Amino acid sequence: MAAQQRPSRAGRRISRRDFLKLMAAAGTVITFTPFIDWGKFLPNPQGSVSERSKVELPNGSQANVKTFQVNHSEAVVYPKSDDPTLNEEAFRIWQFIRLPEELGGAKNDATAFRMYSQVCLHLWCLWKYWPEPGRKRGECPCHGSMYDPLTGKAFAGPAALQSPPSNVLPSLDLEVDNNGNIWIKPPNWSVDGNGIVGFGRFLKA
Amino acid sequence: MWMGMKFTLPTRFVSPLGFLGMLTFITFIILGITGALLMLWYEPILDRAWDSVEHINDVIPYGFHMRNVHYHASNAMVMLALLHMYYQYFSGRYKIRNEILWVTGIILGVLTILEAFTGYDIIFSERAELAISIAASLTNSIPILGPQMRDAFFGAGFHDFVLRFYAFHVFLLPIAMLGLMVVHFPRFLVFDVPMVMAITGAIMLTGGVFPVEMGLKFDPNVPPGITVPEWYLTGLYAFLRTQYDKFVTGVAWPGLFIFTLLIIPFIDRYKKFSWKDRPIITAIGITSLAQIIVTTYWGFYIDPDTTKSLLERLVIDPIFFYLVMVLLVPLSFGFTYMMIKLAKNAEANAKLQPRKPVGKTSINLPEKWIYIVFIALLAFQVYLNIAAYYAVLAGMKNYSLFIIGIIMLVFAGMFHLFRYGRAMAKSAPPRIITAPPKITQPAISPPSAAPPLTAPSKDEKPLATPAAEKSSGTSAAQRQASSQGTKSAPAITKSNDARISTSPSTGSNLSEPRASENNKYQK
Repeated sequence: MAAQQRPSRAGRRISRRDFLKLMAAAGTVITFTPFIDWGKFLPNPQGSVSERSKVELPNGSQANVKTFQVNHSEAVVYPKSDDPTLNEEAFRIWQFIRLPEELGGAKNDATAFRMYSQVCLHLWCLWKYWPEPGRKRGECPCHGSMYDPLTGKAFAGPAALQSPPSNVLPSLDLEVDNNGNIWIKPPNWSVDGNGIVGFGRFLKA
Repeated sequence: MWMGMKFTLPTRFVSPLGFLGMLTFITFIILGITGALLMLWYEPILDRAWDSVEHINDVIPYGFHMRNVHYHASNAMVMLALLHMYYQYFSGRYKIRNEILWVTGIILGVLTILEAFTGYDIIFSERAELAISIAASLTNSIPILGPQMRDAFFGAGFHDFVLRFYAFHVFLLPIAMLGLMVVHFPRFLVFDVPMVMAITGAIMLTGGVFPVEMGLKFDPNVPPGITVPEWYLTGLYAFLRTQYDKFVTGVAWPGLFIFTLLIIPFIDRYKKFSWKDRPIITAIGITSLAQIIVTTYWGFYIDPDTTKSLLERLVIDPIFFYLVMVLLVPLSFGFTYMMIKLAKNAEANAKLQPRKPVGKTSINLPEKWIYIVFIALLAFQVYLNIAAYYAVLAGMKNYSLFIIGIIMLVFAGMFHLFRYGRAMAKSAPPRIITAPPKITQPAISPPSAAPPLTAPSKDEKPLATPAAEKSSGTSAAQRQASSQGTKSAPAITKSNDARISTSPSTGSNLSEPRASENNKYQK
C-alpha cells in the first residue's frame, strides 16, 4: 500500500515492513518497561522511615532537652532494628550532640542539638565528639579527621581534603515536643537532603 | 570459527607461554573447587564473617590448606592472566580474526581482578573494610549514575556489603566469567599435565612458605594499621594516595587503561605480527608495563619514618608522582626502540654467520636410567607423603602444605619422564621420527596453499636489518635460505622452519598466525 503511493510532500513514506518493525520494537519496549522499576530490588530500603522516631539513648530513655547536658554527646542507633547484630552496624550509629554554650547549646529547642552520622567520611572509622575545652569538636581516631560540631563539616585531616559532598557529615533533622522529648524527623537520604551515610552531604548555604 | 577447536595432550615439552590461557583456566577450576569447599564453612554475616574464616583456618581439618590454596591460586590466576595478556599482545596474536578473543579476554581479566578483590574483602578484616570503603566511594564518585550504582551494588551498611560481595564473589562474577569463557575459547587447547601439576604445586608451595594472614577483625572503634591492598591493586592505590580527585584517580585512569587495551587490536595497523616488526605497539606495551611496575611498587611503598604523621607517610605528592609517570613514557618508549634496534642488529649478525644447530640441548637419558630415576622419584614421593602426614599430625600445617606442593612438582617431573620414555620407546634409535604427528595437523592452511592475497611480502620473517638489505639484500636472503635448507636436511623436526624457508615469497600475511601457532608446538 505504502509502496504504491506516490511520494508525498513530506518526502518518503514508511513502508509496510518498516512499520511492522516499528510495531515490534515498540511492543518489545512496552513489554519490558515494567521491569525497569524492578531495579528497586537492589538498593536496601532500610532507610525509608515514614514516621518520626525517638532519640533513644544508650540507657534506653528518650533524650529530653531538660535532662540532656550541654556540651555532651551520646551514640544513638538509628534506624533501630530488632536484630542486635544490625544495631551494631557502624552505618546505623549516630552521634547525638548538645552543642557547647558558646555555640548555642543552652537553648531549650532543637537548634541546641545536632545528630551526625558517626561514620567518618574518610575511611569509615567511628569518630566521636570531644567536649574538653579547647577541643569541642568531632575527632576520628583513625587518621585524624576533625569535624565542626555546628555544621558537621570536616575542617582538618584527610576528610577535609575531600571534595563536596564528601566533606560534610550526614545529619538528621530533630524536633522537640511539648514535654521536651526529642524526635528524629523522617529522613531524606540524598546528598541534597540529610546526606548519605559514609559519603556525605552538600552543605546548604 | 570455533568449530576447529583442537584439544591436545602434548607428547613432549612445549613452551607454556603458548597455553598460559589454559593454565589460567586451570587455576580458575582450582579456585572453583577450593571455593566451593570453603563455602561449606564461611558465613557471610557482619559479625561472623571474620570468625568463620578464623574457624576454617584454625579448627577445620585441612581448612588452612583449602584457604591457602584458594588465596594463592587467586594470585596465580591474576598473574597468569596478566602474563597471558602480555604474551598475546607482544606476539601480535590479538588481531586479524582474533579481536573478539582479545576483547572478551580483557573483560575476563577485569572480572578476574574484581573476583579476586571481592574475595579478599569478604574476610572482613581491617584491610577488607578499607578496601570496601574505597571501592564504594569510587563507585559513588562516578558522575550522574554513581550514587545509584553504589546503592544498587553495595546496599547500605557493612552487613549488606559483606553479603553482597559474597554473592558477587561466589556466583555472579564466576557465572559471568564462565559465559565469557565460552566466547573466549581459543582454537587450540593444550592440556599439558606436567605444567598443570607444576602450577598447582607452585601454588601449594607458596602457600606453605607464605601462608596468608588472618588480619585483624574489623572494629570501627580501633584505628586500623597501615595496610596496602593486594599487589594487583597497589597501582590503583598509588594513584588514590595522591589525594587527588577520587573519580579521576580511581575510576578515570584505570578506565582509560582498560579502554586502551580494549581498542588496541583495532589501532594496531601493522601487517606484521612479531613484536620486532611493530615498534610502536611494542613500545606502548613496554611503556604500560613500566607504568604498572612503577605504580605497583609505589603503592606498596610507605615511608618507614614512624615519627611522621600517618597522613604524611601515606600521601604521595601528586606533582612528584605524575611527573615521574610522565617522564617514564619517553624513557620506556626510547628504551624499547633501542632494544628493538639492537635485537634486529644482533639477529642480522647472527644471520650472516652460518647458524649453529641451536635445537635440542636435551639430555639423552638411556632407557635404563629412566627406570632408575623413576624409582628414585617414587621413593622420594613415598618419603614426602610420610613427611606430609607427620607434618599434619604435628600440627605444622604450612609445612605439610609445602611438602604437598613438592609432591605435585615431583609428579610433574614424573609425568614428563614418563612422556619422554614413551616417546623414546615409540621412536627407535633414529630420532628423526620424534616429530609429533601434530605437525601435519595444524597445517590446515599451509602457507604455500594460501594464495598471495596481497603483494607477496618480501619475507616471512624480515629479520634482516635495513643495513643488510641495503648492502646485499638478495644475497643475504639467499644465504639465509640456503643455510636453513642445509640445516633442515638432517633434522626434519624443524619442519616448520623448513617450510617457511622453502616458500619465503608465497606466504601471505593472513597465513602467518597459523604458522606462529604451529610454532607453539614445535618449540
